[in-house]
Amino acid sequence: MPRVFFLLFVVVVALALPSWNYAEDTLVVYSGRAERLIQPVLDAFQAESGISIQMLTADSTALINRLQMEGARTPADVLITNDAGTLERARELQLFQPTTIPGIEETIPGRFRAPDNSWIGLSGRIWVIIYNTTMVRPGDISSILDLADPQWKGKIAIPSAGSVYLQTGVSVIRAVKGDEITTAFLRGLKDNAGEFVYGKNRQIVAAVARGEVAAGPVNHYYINRHLAKHPDAPIAPLLTDQGEQGMGVVLNAAGIGITAHTKRLEQARALIRFLISPKGQRTFAEVNKEYPLNPHVTAAPELLPLQSFQVARVPLSRLAQLRDPTMTVIEDVGLR
Amino acid sequence: MLPLLYVVFSAMTADPAVWRRLWTTRVPELFLNTLSLSLGVAVINLTLGISLAWILTRYTFAGSRIWDWLLILPLSIPSYVLAYTYTYLLKRGGTLEQIWQTIAGPEAVFFSPFSFSGAVLVLALNTFPFVYLLARSALKNFNVSFEEVARTTGAGRVTTFFRVSLPLIRPSLIAGLFLAILYVASDFGAVSLLRFQTFTYAVYQQMTGRFDNTAAACLSLVLVACAFVFLFGERWFRQRSRFYQTTGRYRKPLPQPCRPLTALLFTGYLVLVFGAAFGLPVLLLIQWTIKATSAGEISHEFIGYVWNSVSLSGITATTALICGIPLAYLACRRRTWASTFCVQGAYTGYVLPGPVAALAVLVLVSQIVPQLYGTILVLLMAYLVHFLPAALQGMESTLQQLTPNLEEAARSLGARSFRTFFHVTLPLVRGGFLSAWILVFVQCMKELPASLLLRPVGFDTLAVRIWLEASEELYQLAAPPALLIVVITIPVVLLLMQKDQT
Repeated sequence: MPRVFFLLFVVVVALALPSWNYAEDTLVVYSGRAERLIQPVLDAFQAESGISIQMLTADSTALINRLQMEGARTPADVLITNDAGTLERARELQLFQPTTIPGIEETIPGRFRAPDNSWIGLSGRIWVIIYNTTMVRPGDISSILDLADPQWKGKIAIPSAGSVYLQTGVSVIRAVKGDEITTAFLRGLKDNAGEFVYGKNRQIVAAVARGEVAAGPVNHYYINRHLAKHPDAPIAPLLTDQGEQGMGVVLNAAGIGITAHTKRLEQARALIRFLISPKGQRTFAEVNKEYPLNPHVTAAPELLPLQSFQVARVPLSRLAQLRDPTMTVIEDVGLR
Repeated sequence: MLPLLYVVFSAMTADPAVWRRLWTTRVPELFLNTLSLSLGVAVINLTLGISLAWILTRYTFAGSRIWDWLLILPLSIPSYVLAYTYTYLLKRGGTLEQIWQTIAGPEAVFFSPFSFSGAVLVLALNTFPFVYLLARSALKNFNVSFEEVARTTGAGRVTTFFRVSLPLIRPSLIAGLFLAILYVASDFGAVSLLRFQTFTYAVYQQMTGRFDNTAAACLSLVLVACAFVFLFGERWFRQRSRFYQTTGRYRKPLPQPCRPLTALLFTGYLVLVFGAAFGLPVLLLIQWTIKATSAGEISHEFIGYVWNSVSLSGITATTALICGIPLAYLACRRRTWASTFCVQGAYTGYVLPGPVAALAVLVLVSQIVPQLYGTILVLLMAYLVHFLPAALQGMESTLQQLTPNLEEAARSLGARSFRTFFHVTLPLVRGGFLSAWILVFVQCMKELPASLLLRPVGFDTLAVRIWLEASEELYQLAAPPALLIVVITIPVVLLLMQKDQT
């Protein structure tokens, strides 16, 4: 009996071991982006370069924690996340290495990169308000702060406290308006939303489309995605905080960085070159109706051109320091 | 035990500001949420458990024997699978709401799955078999003489039930409730998909949402402290309420045949409960799996996930047995202060919810052997911390049934202790050990939080796949692995049930 167990044990270990090692030329990608959004572009890269890819999908922050713990032993070669704040945090922790990619200055504007190119933005998303066209007139809301107005009690839906989008948005508002206004805003938001707190942007969009609530803040592409499926849905995006005095809409970028301890630098660079090339940009941004950050690549036709509206002037790299105090503000207000 | 101490240590050395912030903002809310969820589940569990057990032990009707078996099947559905089928069933404009609207008018709305009611419903449907099983065995071995005495002294049916029968089966009910509540408090899968904030979920959120683990450690400490209080509370309660059979007059309850209408009513009730807890979710899974298969959405990677799950669970179960044998042996044969300490220490893993076990192993590994981080060994350790107690319990009880005389006989005939163990003891306890192995295997197959947090690159397990797809609400993609886990678990649940009956 013990011998049988032992044999079984050895056989299982022997069979399983190969699958736990990564081949030399396999690029290991830590990704905080939904798998379905990133798989197409990685597949295209594999097909073109012949470099195979192993991916680990997890929460962006968890990936940073993981990289930090793994230190020099990390199997990861690149990190891709949906939040520039996380990327900048990784740079501060020296988890990335600066890279030189020929032609990067012309392909990705400086404000979407770290100064030393430790991380490079790939696509942009803006935080807009979705509203139900039968319940709200576009003039009713001009600033994101208007959502905290008591007239919207029970009529708005908001993302849950764990949402990176909410954290980014609140960070930007804090940076521009200060903690006092932000706290008051969040209190109002909490009161107005009541039960309508969702973990997924898509659920906010669906709630607005059904008319359960009148409006809510979401990333712009969720609206396009819903409209692609239900062209008659009574929903529209609203760009807030425009005009001379406005703070502009909140923009965040998804991006990539090469880990400090990679052993496959060339392959990692090849991946970045592919991702910023017109073909890579189109595949990366278009699956999700995001804005390609390469100005030579035009965004999907249903999107307003990136140049046509005002974006909040908080540098993406500042999102990193803003993050933890923002979490504390959000938790203090008691958002779920 | 060591991992737990590490968590305690890092929580103790945390910045007081972190503690203050947690106490004023998170802890009261989380405590209230966890408590009210447990109470809500407890109330539904009691109602379902007692009524089902009563019907099935006191009455016989066509098909009443099958239900004995069917009603334990809900135990084979992992909580996160049940939760994700219910997010589909209960969503706005979903199937259940449409049915409800044809009954109650077009304006009627069902409660959202992402609410207190949703979480209570899912977890109650997932755990009621605990209470049902224990209530049933108590009612089966019940002495009807007590009830008869009550009836002859003039008490009505209802009074008898509440004043005599219920108090007599109370210890069993409490044991069942205890299991259910421990399950609810340590559940991660369902509450994370339904986004209901309990302690366990908050620990995971703090681990994945913040750049340091101090807050997670603090919350873990509070949670573990609550679990211990609960554990001792239960012991104390059980010691106080014991009932003894004083005379030899013992009569088993005889199930009575009932009228067709009552039988129909009972069957309807049983079908409803069973359908909600098992039938409907599994049908949905089958339907989605068929759709996904015919749409070619099952990739070759699926085989890889199956292999990851099966191999890792197999290795963990085997390791648990190898580690457990000396511990169980010590606990049964050589009771000393040190061995008791060792065994009780291993049992602490029982009250550790998944994310806490993962955090504990993570902190420990990063402090002592950081080289191991990101390898499969870390995950294996977390599984062991979590599931060794279950294996130990099974092995200890088997070993206890074996009389030491046999071993002593072997020793007196000149066999050395090693030889005795392998040639005498082990063959005799094989069955019990095998079921301990199977138990750990199945628990590992279903394990979610530690796998999510600690898996190495390219090592997604079935449970991880289900969770990732389900949290994106890709119902069809999550269905095949979910169905597979349920199918693997069913025979195990039935096997354990059979052991329970003999």
